Amino acid sequence: MKHILKFTFSLVVLFSITGNAQDSIQKFPERYGLRVGVDLHRLSKSFYDDNYRGLEIVGDYRLTKKFYIAGELGNEEKTVDDDRLNFTTNGSYFKVGFDYNAFENWLDMENMIYAGMRVGFSSFDHQVNSFKIYENNGNYYGQTIIAPGEKFSGQTASWVEIVGGVKAELFNNLYMGFSVRLNYLISNKEPEGFANLYIPGFNRTYDGKFGAGFNYTLSYFIPIYKKKK
Amino acid sequence: MKKIAFIALSLLLAVSFWNCEKDDICAEGTPVTPRVIIEFFDATNQTTPKNVTNLGVIATGFTEGFAFNGTNKIEVPLRTNVDITELDFVLNGADNDPANDETVTLTFNYERSNVFISRACGYKTIFNLTNVLPTDFTGTWVSSLTIEQPNIINENETHIKIYF
Repeated sequence: MKHILKFTFSLVVLFSITGNAQDSIQKFPERYGLRVGVDLHRLSKSFYDDNYRGLEIVGDYRLTKKFYIAGELGNEEKTVDDDRLNFTTNGSYFKVGFDYNAFENWLDMENMIYAGMRVGFSSFDHQVNSFKIYENNGNYYGQTIIAPGEKFSGQTASWVEIVGGVKAELFNNLYMGFSVRLNYLISNKEPEGFANLYIPGFNRTYDGKFGAGFNYTLSYFIPIYKKKK
Repeated sequence: MKKIAFIALSLLLAVSFWNCEKDDICAEGTPVTPRVIIEFFDATNQTTPKNVTNLGVIATGFTEGFAFNGTNKIEVPLRTNVDITELDFVLNGADNDPANDETVTLTFNYERSNVFISRACGYKTIFNLTNVLPTDFTGTWVSSLTIEQPNIINENETHIKIYF
């Protein structure tokens, strides 16, 4: 790492000398602005997975050298086909928080390796499409399948996320990013007679309060102002 | 800071795998659709439990059923797709001699409701018995029948008592 830095530094010095430049070292200003994008994973899954339709808009705004305000806004409709029941969850969510860039950029690079946090909120409903009755000792009369089931409206949930990810500039102002998220439920308003087995934005729920997610983003950076390094 | 990011990432990955366990199998012992618990008592001395011998219980028209021997407490399933279940209670029906068989057909009428259990178990059906027919057992091996608990929501209590 040090060697590369040294090498780059010498290169910069070398250029500045041979190039008859007035400045001894070229300085790259830090750019500040808004970055907006879309989650490619959710977008593409909407096309190849019949049981899923979703869209997530992502955005961040650079506050200081290291800190970004960040958030996601999304809508999902997912049909879960489990062994014993089939249901469709439909709802919207948003998440707000921050990212901390731990990556030391060289020259004019603007990449990120970051860790962050989010608070997420989701509002959604479930439609039970079909379910099986569980009977002990096998099903003497045969398996009973009931369809359709009830609809449960007006569910809400909130959670916190720990985020880790990378963002790399592909071309001018166009960024590719990947992030993984560990979610922890804070509140979960469950319907009478059903459970929030899937929460838009949070994903599948488990016995405990933990969940996980990820996204794959393509975003565009809109520069607003510059600061000297 | 880079280290922290790395640790956070590894942690996330670890948790995502650790999350892929259980809750996909309906755990044994989970209260699922209850069966009707029937207890048998002596017809002359109604507080004395009486064991059945080679009692066969079979749904009308079925070829396979349940056999009970040397017990005074049995459990039989109700249909979860209709509000009526007909079961033949065949005394000595579970032995090899068809000549000594004595059949009583009991008709259970009830209301059903389906209750969500969990992702792995799905739903269960609970019942509310409206009646059990016939009411007159003259000429059969059964002397009388009483409904002790019409709400069949678990298997912990006796729902029906049969005296013979």
